[in-house]
Amino acid sequence: MTIGPEIDARRASAIPFVIAWIVILLTAGISAWTAFLGLGIWAPVIQFGVALFQTSLLFVLFMRLKGAPSLKWVFAVSGFFWLLFLFGLSMTDYSNRRGWPPAQAGGSQLGYHQPNSIGASPSSKPRKAMRSALILSAV
Amino acid sequence: MPADTQPMLEIQYATLEQQGETAQFGIWVFLTQETIFFGALIFTYFLYRITYPHEFVAAAKDAVLWCGTLNFIILVTSSLTMVLAINAAAQDESPKRMVRWLVVTVLLGCLFLIVKGYEYYLDFEDRVVPVVHFVVKPGEGSAGELFWVFYWIATGLHAIHLTIGIGLVLYMLLWRIRRGEITPRYYAPLEVVGIYWSFVDTVWLFLYPCIYLVGRS
Repeated sequence: MTIGPEIDARRASAIPFVIAWIVILLTAGISAWTAFLGLGIWAPVIQFGVALFQTSLLFVLFMRLKGAPSLKWVFAVSGFFWLLFLFGLSMTDYSNRRGWPPAQAGGSQLGYHQPNSIGASPSSKPRKAMRSALILSAV
Repeated sequence: MPADTQPMLEIQYATLEQQGETAQFGIWVFLTQETIFFGALIFTYFLYRITYPHEFVAAAKDAVLWCGTLNFIILVTSSLTMVLAINAAAQDESPKRMVRWLVVTVLLGCLFLIVKGYEYYLDFEDRVVPVVHFVVKPGEGSAGELFWVFYWIATGLHAIHLTIGIGLVLYMLLWRIRRGEITPRYYAPLEVVGIYWSFVDTVWLFLYPCIYLVGRS
């Protein structure tokens, strides 16, 4: 049983792809609009959320992840998870560095910030780092 | 097995369907590592943007929004025309409709590069080319230069990928289709090129908010 529009190239009509194309352009318009609203931290959150939504449309419809052979999903999902590991483990490191992100006004007069060493203080940060790394490893 | 499939079937496959599926797996494996490649680049961007938020906002104001937006529309449209070309390849015995859509796709790809080239010219005029022609503007600090380093590397790598995509579509048009190798019975090579093309489009979906939507309010 197939759910949603038929996208097999042998039978598909242009309609689902044209609709997806319109949706991508409309959401891009919304994304650009949020850039001018002064939403602060929420602007990039919305913009990258929209980008993720647009990407999923492209992957599922335009790149035909939907449909046979289903084994394609293994490769697509593995790419997503590798990306998750890359972001997750790297952020685990950075988020546990003392003084990162800097308190702003540019770090130093040059605008460059010198990251401190990991776990230099007797805070709970090393434990937090280990916990985050363990959770990610378990995933 | 029909006689006309013989020249297309490689010796290691039992059927054309199996050969086509293997080609699809191949491109997905390749795209998995491309995801890591661009993912690392965008991660670096996030890292620096979190570290130097004010400098990045000040620097990104000089990015040419209309060029980025126009290129967004061009690229998404080219993905649509590519998909329609693949549908035509799978449905029509005559290659006319497929060729028409592929020519439109190549033209859109070239238009993207022309707009990008013009944007690079504007950037050079605006003196935002790190090392070569760069002036630190008020509020940027020298960390603002990091934004532009990301901009040139990311858009440059994207343009290289798109150029490869244009080359692949031209190869399909001028070689495979002319030799009658893309037919409703076997169109996997074109489908593989289409998947690659849409992936390159996907990268732009993320570069657009990274570069053009920062510091607009």
